[in-house]
Amino acid sequence: MDAALKALAEPRRRAILRLVWSQELPASEIAEGFPDVTRPAISQHLTVLKEAELVTERREGTRRLYRANTDTMAELRAFLDDYWTSGLERLRDVAEAAENRKRATKGSS
Amino acid sequence: MAELVREIMIAATPETIWPFLTDPKRHVEWQGTVAEIDVRPGGVHRVLVKGRHQAVGEYLEVVPLEKVVFTFGWDEPGHPIPPGSSTIEISLHPEGEKTRVRLVHRGLPEDAVSDHTRGWDHYLARLAVAAPGGNAGTDD
Repeated sequence: MDAALKALAEPRRRAILRLVWSQELPASEIAEGFPDVTRPAISQHLTVLKEAELVTERREGTRRLYRANTDTMAELRAFLDDYWTSGLERLRDVAEAAENRKRATKGSS
Repeated sequence: MAELVREIMIAATPETIWPFLTDPKRHVEWQGTVAEIDVRPGGVHRVLVKGRHQAVGEYLEVVPLEKVVFTFGWDEPGHPIPPGSSTIEISLHPEGEKTRVRLVHRGLPEDAVSDHTRGWDHYLARLAVAAPGGNAGTDD
């Protein structure tokens, strides 16, 4: 998962991931989306995304087809949700429980 | 440098919430599995998240019952948010019997910011459909 975060730190790789999010595309067609980037550079980005398990690769004859790996994205989502949102939600839950204990103690004394 | 803001309303007073930010034993009840925190300017902030992600930083400002400010980063080689690269401010704003807790993450590198907000919003919106019920639950 750390590899996925690092892979996504590069804006071009995020753009590639967006392209293959809902459709499987051959490397050639992905490269066409980035006329300012060399083919070897696109290949390198795809390798990084593949090693981070953000995309899956499938061979069909001489073509290589790529699509987003939603399992890895779901894992990332769980991590980020946990850190940013669930963290505060857990703080709320434990603080409110502590507050209720305080009030109960005051009420009974 | 952009910033990221999260807020939540808690039905508790700042006096009740404060120990959860400053006492290591209380801190792990909501964030991290191991917390080594010395809440005073210059003090260390080390929280192990999900058993394998080490967040590290140093407290910069502490105003009892009001706010803590600490540097923040991940202690992993090559991580886009290295230690010392960003700061987190958690502040408590009493409103009647409740408290609004505000978390601001500042100084994130632009790439990380787009990961956490703009870029992620795209993925999270899709995932909200593709992977429902992703409540993280306990921090193990």
